[in-house]
Amino acid sequence: MSGRLVLHLDMDAFFASVEKNEDPSLAGRPVVVGGTGGRGVVASASYEARAYGVRSAMPAGQARRLCPQAVFLPPRFELYRRASARLHAVLHEVAPLVEGIGLDEAFLDVSAATTLFGPVGAIAARLHRRVAEELSLTCSVGGGPNKLVAKLASEAAKPRPSLGGPLPGPGTVIVAPEEVLGFLWPLPVGALWGVGPASRERLRKLGVATVGDLAALPEGSLVGALGKAAGKLLHELAWGRDERPVVADRAPKSIGHEETYPKDLGDRAELERRLAFMADQVAGRVRAAGMLARTVTVKLRYGDFTTLTRSHTFTAPIDSGPAFVAAAKPLLASLSLGEGARLLGVSASGLLERGHGPGEQLQFDLDAAPGRRPSPPGQGTSKGRAPTPCAGGSSPPSGGGPRWGEAMEAVDEVRARFGEGAVRPASATTGPRPVVPAAHGLARRRAQDGNRAKVPGGSTRGGSSGAGIISK
Amino acid sequence: MKLRCERDSLLEALALAGRATSGRPVGPGALVGTRLGLTGDRLEVTGSDQDLTISTEVSVAGSGDGVVVAPGRLLTDIVRSLEPGAVVIQGDDDELHVSGGRSEFMLRVYRAGDFPQPPPPLGGSVKLVTAGLAEALRQVIRAASSENYRPVLTGVLMAAEAGGIRMVTTDSYRLAVKDLPGAHDVLREDQRVLVPSRALSELQRLLSGDAEAVEVHLGAHDVRFDVGQVRLIARLIEGEFPPYRQLIPFNYPNKLEIPRQSFLDAVQRVRLMAREPAAREAPTPLRVMLRSDTVQLSVITNEVGQAVEEVDAKYEGEEMTIAFNPQFLADGIEAVAGDEVLLEAQDPVKPVTLKSADRADYLYLLMPVKVV
Repeated sequence: MSGRLVLHLDMDAFFASVEKNEDPSLAGRPVVVGGTGGRGVVASASYEARAYGVRSAMPAGQARRLCPQAVFLPPRFELYRRASARLHAVLHEVAPLVEGIGLDEAFLDVSAATTLFGPVGAIAARLHRRVAEELSLTCSVGGGPNKLVAKLASEAAKPRPSLGGPLPGPGTVIVAPEEVLGFLWPLPVGALWGVGPASRERLRKLGVATVGDLAALPEGSLVGALGKAAGKLLHELAWGRDERPVVADRAPKSIGHEETYPKDLGDRAELERRLAFMADQVAGRVRAAGMLARTVTVKLRYGDFTTLTRSHTFTAPIDSGPAFVAAAKPLLASLSLGEGARLLGVSASGLLERGHGPGEQLQFDLDAAPGRRPSPPGQGTSKGRAPTPCAGGSSPPSGGGPRWGEAMEAVDEVRARFGEGAVRPASATTGPRPVVPAAHGLARRRAQDGNRAKVPGGSTRGGSSGAGIISK
Repeated sequence: MKLRCERDSLLEALALAGRATSGRPVGPGALVGTRLGLTGDRLEVTGSDQDLTISTEVSVAGSGDGVVVAPGRLLTDIVRSLEPGAVVIQGDDDELHVSGGRSEFMLRVYRAGDFPQPPPPLGGSVKLVTAGLAEALRQVIRAASSENYRPVLTGVLMAAEAGGIRMVTTDSYRLAVKDLPGAHDVLREDQRVLVPSRALSELQRLLSGDAEAVEVHLGAHDVRFDVGQVRLIARLIEGEFPPYRQLIPFNYPNKLEIPRQSFLDAVQRVRLMAREPAAREAPTPLRVMLRSDTVQLSVITNEVGQAVEEVDAKYEGEEMTIAFNPQFLADGIEAVAGDEVLLEAQDPVKPVTLKSADRADYLYLLMPVKVV
């Protein structure tokens, strides 16, 4: 495949850099995300920490020995997910074909974009600049005729850790087709995909240290040493040939959350609270993905692993927490608890991209206070207006459309600042529900949400393990 | 208990009772049974999912009264598969034997005590002539919600109104209101009950037969309908039906009068392009372009293609285009009685009303789709 141009973008020390943006006092200090509990592994290390030898995936204890003065932070994935969503928005403005890898890496096929944005070097520079402008974070961009070369080029563009502070890298490195072999062959053979410690050991016995050494070996000897598939693949890679296409990200098919309980949970009220909490979380993630959902599914697994699901599909898609909670509750109510639940989950499917649907089915405002006849006639029956006062604190929303829009934005904002557990539906909390008199409207609600945001409290209760699920 | 009866009459009873069982387990080791109760030569066959109970009677040659609860769907399938002719059923607390021709089945049975208890006897009854009722049910059930996340919307509101019964349904996208004159004995003045639409659509099926009257027993929490041999008992829905009157606009500046059948035919043709959407997609809207002497219907999709059709009609008002969910629009036109439909509109984002041009006893209010 000639004429292909692939870029690989990799954020520099992503989680640690996001944390540094959040807290200016961390500037210039070694920061390690993950492993705060003493156990676990490093999720991300700033370049200052890398200067002491701290690396991603390293056991936390080892990281503490290497760099005891580092600031160790618990990971805040919701924060990174939001930054990642902004990153993807930038990527999509530059290239039509984006394949995201994790939160902080992506391949872009810019073969067709070069005419639009100029030569590939200009596109890479533009990406680098736009990411800095939009996220106040640095990234490294590599370019080449295929994924292999692009990935290795972005590696070459990275900053280098040093005890005197990180040495900036070139930021962007483009490898032209005729430069590929000159670029690849001096690299250690371990830089290639698929060369793990075991293969490296076998190759070392063949006297192979660099990619160039590998290229010099006849394909037959490689196949003999590593097997047919791996041998052939490595031979191709060593010659800079990689046909794997950039595959555009598909929208997720479902977004879900589930919890497994250490002991089967038979308390219906408690399960309802857990369900409300999860449904609200799922709604937040549906909104964060810029989507709406038509189907809500509740999954219940009993101690004997019998698993039942109940789902409900709406005519008009929903995205507000209250609408998800209101949809999920009767689904759980329709299921007997038997001896208790081993697992409870909620998921959203039938996902639609916001603004790309075929239109919005309007709804009656069934919760408008009785006797308040709209004037002029009929005007109050469409729900497309600015938020109206909620009629009664406990009545469920009629659909979770624009009536909740502003409140949901506020919720998302509070969560972005104070964390996922900062705002949760009243029905997910224990104790008496706050009573919101009908006369008080959204403003009062928002004030309450704000107050609650300051109340410290973990987002998950002890003893249960939760897991977010996004399935493609 | 032991009994002998015709395959066809037993099958009919089993299939009818089976319509009340949801068929889906509601818990671990759930009970999805059909109850067979033999008293003399009468076999009572009952299906129930607690919210809805249907029972009917079959004449049999019985010996030894008793009650057995057997897996309903399986039993029905077995009886259906037997050779035509006599079927012999024999059961006790542990097993049920079914034989017909040279086939013999043995089924494990459920504990009869686990079967949902019938509600206590209900108060006095009222006889209703079925002619108007079946039609009224047909007109309103379509606008009830099938989404049980708001249970009151799955019901049909029945209220005493102007010397008759008013029936109201809404799924929050459309609203149907029907006045049935004369049936005022069922409800007290100001009494309102919410009957599950699922139960009423079963009632509608029963009424479409040759039954001429239905006996209604209304209790505090349940309602029972007796149609011939069949008893249908539904648990009333608790809760307050939303205030619906304020949804109906006072007046409309724009009025369309259109032949019902040609309007419906055109909608059905054009909506072929908006076939049932996959679960992840909302239905493609059908656009209704209102012009002074003609109505243009169109469905446009990127993937499949497009369809356009014009229908002659009388229109007084501002020229505009309103988009609808095609199913909801077809439902409304179909529900209206008479040859001419009156469609009244305000603007493309406010509800439109569909009713008969010459009858005032039915109204179908529909929210449009806002095209973005």
